[in-house]
This record gives sequence, structure tokens and C-alpha cells, in this order.
Amino acid sequence: MASRGLCGRIIWLFLGLLVLAGLPGGAPAASPELLITPEQIDIGTFFQGVQVQITGEIPKGSEAVVEIIGGTQAEHLMRKGRRLGLWMNVGEIEVHHAPSLYLAAATDPRLLSPSRNETSWGFAALKKRLSFSGQMQAGEEVQLFQQFLELKESEGLYDASTKIQRISSSGGGPPLVRTTFWLSGRVKPGNYRVCLSVIHQDGKVAQKCADLPVRAVGFPALLSSLAYQHEALYGILAVVIAIVTGYLMGLLFGGKGGH
Amino acid sequence: MFSSLYLPIAGNGVNILLLLGLGGAVGFLSGLFGVGGGFLMTPLLIMAGIPSTVAAASDSNQIVAASTSGSYAHYRLGNVDFKMGLLLLLGGVLGGTLGVQLIKMLRALGNADFVIKITYVLMLGIVGLYMFVESLQSLRKKVPEISPGRRAEPGRPSLYARLIQALPWQMHFDKSGVTLSPILPILLGILVGILAAIMGVGGGFIMVPVMVYMLRMPMHVVVGTSLFQILFTCINVTIMQAVSNHTVDLVLAIVLLLGSTIGAQFGVKLSHRLKADQLKILLASIVLVVMVQILVGLLLAPGVMLDYKGGH
Repeated sequence: MASRGLCGRIIWLFLGLLVLAGLPGGAPAASPELLITPEQIDIGTFFQGVQVQITGEIPKGSEAVVEIIGGTQAEHLMRKGRRLGLWMNVGEIEVHHAPSLYLAAATDPRLLSPSRNETSWGFAALKKRLSFSGQMQAGEEVQLFQQFLELKESEGLYDASTKIQRISSSGGGPPLVRTTFWLSGRVKPGNYRVCLSVIHQDGKVAQKCADLPVRAVGFPALLSSLAYQHEALYGILAVVIAIVTGYLMGLLFGGKGGH
Repeated sequence: MFSSLYLPIAGNGVNILLLLGLGGAVGFLSGLFGVGGGFLMTPLLIMAGIPSTVAAASDSNQIVAASTSGSYAHYRLGNVDFKMGLLLLLGGVLGGTLGVQLIKMLRALGNADFVIKITYVLMLGIVGLYMFVESLQSLRKKVPEISPGRRAEPGRPSLYARLIQALPWQMHFDKSGVTLSPILPILLGILVGILAAIMGVGGGFIMVPVMVYMLRMPMHVVVGTSLFQILFTCINVTIMQAVSNHTVDLVLAIVLLLGSTIGAQFGVKLSHRLKADQLKILLASIVLVVMVQILVGLLLAPGVMLDYKGGH
């Protein structure tokens, strides 16, 4: 009798697990509406940046905007100025609510156009969210925003010029959009948000978002944690490794080293 | 896929061939001219896009590796004046600690990059011009070389010699065969220590001429003692930079070392085919070109008018 009860519980548990495994929502990135490849980015020993492909479904006749957005933070920057004929840092500027990464693409480039004040995407939308403080004069925000964009664009961390391709879906399904972003080698580990905004013909907007984790792995992760969490140990280790490497190189090549 | 190497402290992926090439080029010049090359490595790394604070600190770590085998070889040959070396080292540790704190303060103020670059312009300008003029004069006149230790005539001590003798706590250094106050090597060590922290150099390009001309030490002891002092000064600077500024990139240091060791072998082979004055004028030209490049970067308006506070 007792064994029959135990068997029954196991069967129910097994069925329950089957149902749970079949439920959607565990991995939003794998959803048919928004597919991110790769789903996770690892910063390893040979990392130099990576291509991220985003594919989404949109209804016929609608437009789409895809964004990759990093966490917001206060950026401490220095303004460059000329003193005694030499260019140097002359004043501190703090930028508030700036995402660490902002990459955007649209089916219609006008959706990201900087001239569209009403837009919810692109640099024009970013401009409305950011604020500046520090050694600046009134009315300098526009110039500072432009300089901030130039700094981030030079590092490949901000971009709003990528195109979205429309692809007709096989099997008569809804049309697909696809875009590929280049995630710069300067990207920092963290959790990034990928959002697909669909602009319907009646002007209504629907949004689907998913997480894109970026994490340091292997040797870079080990060295970073040592360097920032065990500074003295890292310093001593760097010296010991340098001495051993230098000595081995001396033995190998018979050189006398340099200064 | 493996052409790029991620530098965890610089926070950037850099082409490994570029780093090996830079290390190889500096190592080649190092072998060709018999100098350390630290003063060329840091500016070249900055030009390659490495933040200047990381470039300087990682170069110090690379110098630890580069000077280890040399120090050991000279120690075995008996070319190290430990008494002088320890005084220089005392100054070097003080100067290095001071320099690292200076960099920390400048990073907080946001001008560490500028100070590193302007120090390079000044030091490379002075050393490059001096070497250029001296080698040019030497090529023109062909005056036979006089040993610096014999410049002051025995009966008539120069003003400099009298000043040295007037300093307190005179002591004799057996290995070097000189008598002078410990204040002089300590001050010299402090200067080299500060430069090692700011510029990421061993300081051999300052240390060697100063030991020869100011401390009047014999050449074979100068090389061994300066390597000994540089090794320990750079050990101190590496640990201090790691603890205070988090700017030592071990991966960068090791790749540079590999490149420079291989490059140095070719440099040494070519150096036997060139004359000393030709080598000196060539080195002076390279030093001046690097200095002008950094100076132009400070004179021309930058492409981006904002920068990160404290580097990257």
C-alpha cells in the first residue's frame, strides 16, 4: 500500500516537472519574438569585442527600433582646455543618468533622427534623459552633450547608425527584422538590456525586452578580482612572475637584461 | 580569433601582434644602443591606445623582469657596489613611494595623463638634445675620449668636487673607489624613484650618466649597481602602483617582455656593425622624434574634448 502511494507521488512529481519544463518565460532571449545571439557574452583571454545579432518578429506594415542599453551611472569627466599653449584637463564635469552603453538601430532612420524632439529612441531621446553638472556655464549643455557623444562614439560604446534588415518569414509567419551590433572590446562586465520596440501603423508602441549578461571569465576574471580585491597580493604576484619570467628569459637567450 | 589579447586592467582588447611588435621594436633599440628602453616603451604604449597610467605602471613591471637577469649576471661578476646600491635604493624607495602618491593625487585631480606626457617631453627633450649635440661634436672633432674620473686635475679640485667634499658624513665606497656623502646617492635615488613612478622607466638613462659624471664611479660598477637599484626601485613601484592605483597590467607586461627579449637579440647583433657615435646620434634622433610626437599631441587641439577623470 505504502509503495503504491510512493509510486503515485513520483509519477505526479514527474508529470509536474514535465509541465514546468514546457512552460515559457524561463529564457526571454529565446522567445520567438526576440532572439539574441549570443545569449551571453564572455570576456575571455582573447576578447576583442563581439557581434550581437538580434532578430525579432513585427506585424506587417509596422516599424521597429532595437536598442542595447547599459546600466546608468554618473560619469566623472574632465573638460579639455588650453593653458600656456598646451591642451590639458581644465575642469570637472559630471554626467548623470548616462547609460554605460547605448546602441540603437531602426527600420526607418528617421525614428532615431537627432532632429526629432518627440522621438523616444536614439541620441535625441538620450539627450532628454542626461543632465550635466560641474564646471560649466549656462547653455553649454548642448555642446557638452555633443562632446560626450564624441567620447563614447570614439570608444564604440554609443552608436545609432546601424540599420535593421527586414526578412520575410518562411512558412507564412509574421515578418522578421534583424540587426547586428558590434559590441566594443571596451564593454565592461555587467547586465545589459536589449529592447525591441514595435511601432504599429496606428502609432501605438509595443516593447519586448530581454537581458544580455556580459561577464569576465577565465584568466581576465581571475586577474581583475585579484587586482581590485587583493591589491597587495596582486602586486607581489606581478613582481614574482616578472622576476621568474625575466630569469627564464635570461637563461633562454643568455641576455643581460636592460634597465 | 587569437589575434587580440584582452588586457584586464586596461579594460581593452589589443592586437597581440601590435604589442609584440612594440616590445620587439623597443627591445631591438635596447639591444642596439645598450639602453633599457623604458623611456620609449611607455610613450609608444600611449600612442597604441593604452591609458598612460596603465602604460607607465605596467612598464615598471616589465622592467622588473628585464633587469632581473642583468642584475644577477652583474652580481655574479662582482660588479655591484651594494653599499652605494642600498643608498640609491633607499632614495629610490622614498622617491617611488612619493611618485606613486603624486600620480594618485593627480588622477584624483584629473591631470595625471598631462603630467606624465609633459615629464616625457622635458626628459626626452633634455636627454635627446644633449646626446645629439654631444655626438655631433664628437663626430666633427674626433677628440679622444677622456675618462670622466680623471677630468678634475689632482692639484686643483673643481667647484663641484669641493661642493661634494663639503657635504657631511663622508664615507668611502670600496667597490667604486670613491669617497662621498650618502646624501648624494640618496637624493639621486629619490629623483630616479619619482621618475620611475611617473614615467614608468627604470631611470638608467639618467642614472648611468649621473653615476659616471657626478658620483665618479667606474663604468663596470655603474652598470651593475644601476641595474640592482633599478630592479628594486621598480619592484617597489610595481607593488605601490598595484595597491594605490590598480594600474599594473600583468598580461601587458609579460607580452612586452617576450617581444623585447626577442627584439633585443637582433639589436645586439646589428650593434656590432655600427660605430658608437653613429649609434648615439641615431638613438638621440629617435628620442627626439618621440618627444616631438608627444609635444605635438599636447599642442594640437584634441579630437575629443572630454576625457575620463583619472584615466580609464
